[in-house]
Amino acid sequence: MAEAGVKTEIRSAVWNPGGWKSLLSFSILFLAWLVGFSSRLFAVIRFESIIHEFDPWFNYRATHYMVNNGFYNFLNWFDDRAWYPLGRIVGGTVYPGLMVTSGSIHWILDLLNIPIHIREVCVFLAPLFSGMTALAVYFFTSEIWSAGAGLFAACFIAIVPGYISRSVAGSYDNEGIAIFALMFTYFLWIKSVKTGSLFWAICTALSYFYMVSAWGGYVFIINLIPLHVFVLLIMGRYSRRIYVAYNAFFIVGLILSMQVPFVGFNPITTSEHMASAGVFALLNAYGALKYIQSFLTKAEFKYFFIMAAVGAAGFIFVAVVGLTWAGYIHPWSGRFYSLWDTGYAKIHIPIIASVSEHQPTTWVSFFFDLHILVCAFPAGVWYCVKEVNDERVFVILYAIFASYFAGVMVRLMLTLTPIVCVLAAVAFSKTFEIYLKDDSMKANNKDSEEDELENKNDNKLYDKVGKPKKDKKEEKPKSQEAIGMNIKSIVVIALLLMLMLFAVHCTWVTSSAYSSPSIVLASYNHDGSRTILDDFREAYYWLRQNTHDKARVMSWWDYGYQIAGMGNRTTLVDNNTWNNSHIALVGKAMSSNETAAYEIMRMLDVNYVLVIFGGVIGYSGDDINKFLWMVRIAEGEHPRDIRESDYFTPQGEFRVDSAGSSTLLNCLMYKLSYYRFGELQLDFRSPPGFDRTRGVEIGNKNFELTHLEEAYTTEHWLVRIYKVKDLENRDTIIKPTIPVKRTKFRSSPSRKSAKKKQGVIKNKPKIIKGKKPTKTTSKK
Amino acid sequence: MASPAGCNVLALMLVCVCFCLTVAVQKKKDDILGERVQQLIEWNSKKSVIRLNGEKFRHYVREVPRNYSVIVMLTALQPQRSCSVCKQAHEEYTILANSWRYSQGFSNKLFFAMVDYDEGADVFSSLKLSTAPVFMHFPSKGKPKKADTMDIHRVGFQAEQIARWVGERTDIQIRIFRPPNYSGTLALALLFSLVGGLLYLKRNNLEFLYNRNFWGIGALAVIFAMTSGQMWNHIRGPPVMHKNPSTGQINYIHGSSQGQFVVETYIIMLLNAAIVGGFVLMSEAHALKGDPGRKRVIALIGLACVAIFFSLLLSIFRSKYHGYPYSFLIK
Repeated sequence: MAEAGVKTEIRSAVWNPGGWKSLLSFSILFLAWLVGFSSRLFAVIRFESIIHEFDPWFNYRATHYMVNNGFYNFLNWFDDRAWYPLGRIVGGTVYPGLMVTSGSIHWILDLLNIPIHIREVCVFLAPLFSGMTALAVYFFTSEIWSAGAGLFAACFIAIVPGYISRSVAGSYDNEGIAIFALMFTYFLWIKSVKTGSLFWAICTALSYFYMVSAWGGYVFIINLIPLHVFVLLIMGRYSRRIYVAYNAFFIVGLILSMQVPFVGFNPITTSEHMASAGVFALLNAYGALKYIQSFLTKAEFKYFFIMAAVGAAGFIFVAVVGLTWAGYIHPWSGRFYSLWDTGYAKIHIPIIASVSEHQPTTWVSFFFDLHILVCAFPAGVWYCVKEVNDERVFVILYAIFASYFAGVMVRLMLTLTPIVCVLAAVAFSKTFEIYLKDDSMKANNKDSEEDELENKNDNKLYDKVGKPKKDKKEEKPKSQEAIGMNIKSIVVIALLLMLMLFAVHCTWVTSSAYSSPSIVLASYNHDGSRTILDDFREAYYWLRQNTHDKARVMSWWDYGYQIAGMGNRTTLVDNNTWNNSHIALVGKAMSSNETAAYEIMRMLDVNYVLVIFGGVIGYSGDDINKFLWMVRIAEGEHPRDIRESDYFTPQGEFRVDSAGSSTLLNCLMYKLSYYRFGELQLDFRSPPGFDRTRGVEIGNKNFELTHLEEAYTTEHWLVRIYKVKDLENRDTIIKPTIPVKRTKFRSSPSRKSAKKKQGVIKNKPKIIKGKKPTKTTSKK
Repeated sequence: MASPAGCNVLALMLVCVCFCLTVAVQKKKDDILGERVQQLIEWNSKKSVIRLNGEKFRHYVREVPRNYSVIVMLTALQPQRSCSVCKQAHEEYTILANSWRYSQGFSNKLFFAMVDYDEGADVFSSLKLSTAPVFMHFPSKGKPKKADTMDIHRVGFQAEQIARWVGERTDIQIRIFRPPNYSGTLALALLFSLVGGLLYLKRNNLEFLYNRNFWGIGALAVIFAMTSGQMWNHIRGPPVMHKNPSTGQINYIHGSSQGQFVVETYIIMLLNAAIVGGFVLMSEAHALKGDPGRKRVIALIGLACVAIFFSLLLSIFRSKYHGYPYSFLIK
């Protein structure tokens, strides 16, 4: 708003186009940053400044540890509170870039005497970096097309939902900073290809190092850049610039990337990185051939070329096969492999298939995340192909591969989003360049360029499209030219309307789909008032306050990070799913009957079991709905004990009502979820024990737990915590049979009476408390 | 004195005879068993899947003295039964049986057999089966239990899945060796040779390789295919379209945002392409030489393409994503 005032002032005072341009670019970028930052704050304003979801909790915990204990202690951190009893070497299994970034921001603020909690830094890091991403995308687009397109792209990336989905305030995750690193690396790479200077190539490598330290997606860079070089070679666009840029980038980038502990020797031992090494060899071979060509005759060169090519190809093939066979080069990792063979994960790795963000992408989610950009960006590709040069080849390759990956996995939409913004910006900018330009008066060219920029600015700030533009539209019809000003303004207005719709769509999507912290739930009543369901934090806080510091909590892996982060208790499995068999063991415990589960829990030293139950409020993401995955993962490791078919009805349905299979109705997860639920009548229309999530009355209502006891259930029953009882005092039963002693005899009746007493209190038949249930269950 | 002795001798003889008899019976049993195993091995050496009719089935699979397990596929392969699933199942089953026959651990503990409905309808009726194909395991001891019938609805009948189930039931692990599928390689080789041949034929005129339209269309085709969700179709295999059985109405668009039909993705692809075409037309209009009137028309057509098809796309999206509030031109 202040900008308009400033503009008129300058219009009257200075008539310097250069100054104009930079002022406009600067203010547009600043506004893009501002808009991007503020549209990510929905969650903070609606709820509070809080870390979201699951993984961010681990990142936050690690950052907190680093800030308290220093960087080197962090790198050496062995976390004995996760993966009990195995523990986890955190320093060697995380990408530390995120923690280091927020840690250093915290440190700088501290240095400036601004006291701020590390949590606030973590919460606002992703929105902050979205502005940096906008800048990086602006530079990138300016390099490959024009500054005008760059401004467009910066505005697009600031508000596009595909990127907001991973960078709202509170979603403190690697991707938040990694997209900035990705685009900045690509910008520097384009710059170094264009200039061929060592300086830019080294900058690329440094930026690449930051990317490697921040996100596993760096593999995308180290494959795309070699691919670019390779395609340039095939197209006969080899030049010294490319030679210098790639060699410098590859060597420095390789050495730097190996400094990250988690990456270690991967860059020289795994197949994912082999393409870059191969292109490195190829590029040098090509360079050598070029050099030799300069002092050989044509016939000699031909002979030499064939010999060299055959020899080199054979040697490389044998070397790679040999090294792979000898085990020095690892084949592709499962996650990476599943990108190519799309059926792979479904058959071999249920834990990958179980994660919803590893699913393929429907066109709806493309449209949802990118809206008009997804329709417009192929036009940008088309223009790039038509006016191809070295750096546009890169853009085209990026667009094709990123759209393939985004098609295979929903989460890779994130890598597609920046290039979609860039190319859609190219498409729009080209159209606007034509239709905003007043080609009758050459003297006024500069003016129209400003108009164009201004329009871009305005339509991004969607709430003030109207005023300044209209008067310009009215000026223009005077000059009738080829396409005519009327038609030109119609086109411009129509496109602006669509862009406005895009901005509105982005805000709506951000507000409605991507701004829920998922640890605090909100429900709306009929009158529009809001109820906050804070059960998760209630439960974790209870754990923190009421259990022993070393207590072990068993839950499904989704909640591991949250229990560790908020409850500060030891977990068995968590979201870092590195040990499938351990997860399968927990899954087995959850899907066995109580006695069998008790054995496993004793074996694993479990003190508390935590389950998420949504039946009271109708929360669909609860453990019963995830249960089949537990069974599947357990079956993968223990096919003898757990069989998925046992959990279905004979008709092949998964149901929790009385028609459900008896294995399901008696497994631990079922019992823990529905314990005492049969006594609860939610309203008068439904019977007691009516599960709102699945819309049925539960099948197994009145049961008692033998080896566990309810410890805590939150207000809306969302989280239920059970304590695992100690073993019963059996030693005294066995001993009397060997030495015949009077004192021992006394003890056994006392046990019996204790048992009796227990039975009487609960008003249950004594038989249940005795041996019978264990017998019948062990028979099964 | 003699009579007790005689009695003793008699008793001894009796015991002897009894013993001999039992031995004989035992031997006969062994003989039968050995004979059967021999017969089965002989069949097996000819064909990895033993074809049984009703009588043979009773004799070799149901009768008691057995020391071998039999996996039986009950199926209907005759063309008039028109059971297409049976054919696929038969192929997978044969792969499994072959893998077993040529594996290291091959023994006479496990045999793979099959019964065709048209050769042994009585088997189906005795097992109370009304569907095909069914995979059953007949253990060496005792009767088949519930779990001895494979649940193909849930796990499918992939050779790997059958092998897993067999491993569960019999403790014999079979590694599947699929005969390498040459069809893909062959198609690829054919494609390459075609492309190579074409290039060779046109070697004097390789201009088209430098044709940007050609490459541009290729790149756009990949992008359109991906953004319209073809990969989802490839992985999930949705139906082409949905026909409402009661009203006979045909739905091209899936009702929820979680799914899509094949036809729907083609529609989306066309819409996307039309929008891109509109953009390109709008920019081409400017570059055209000649009549300004024509330029105007082309520019307007381009705009119309973009606006109309985009609003169409938006309205389809809206119909799928319930509760979406915005629309453009078309509701």
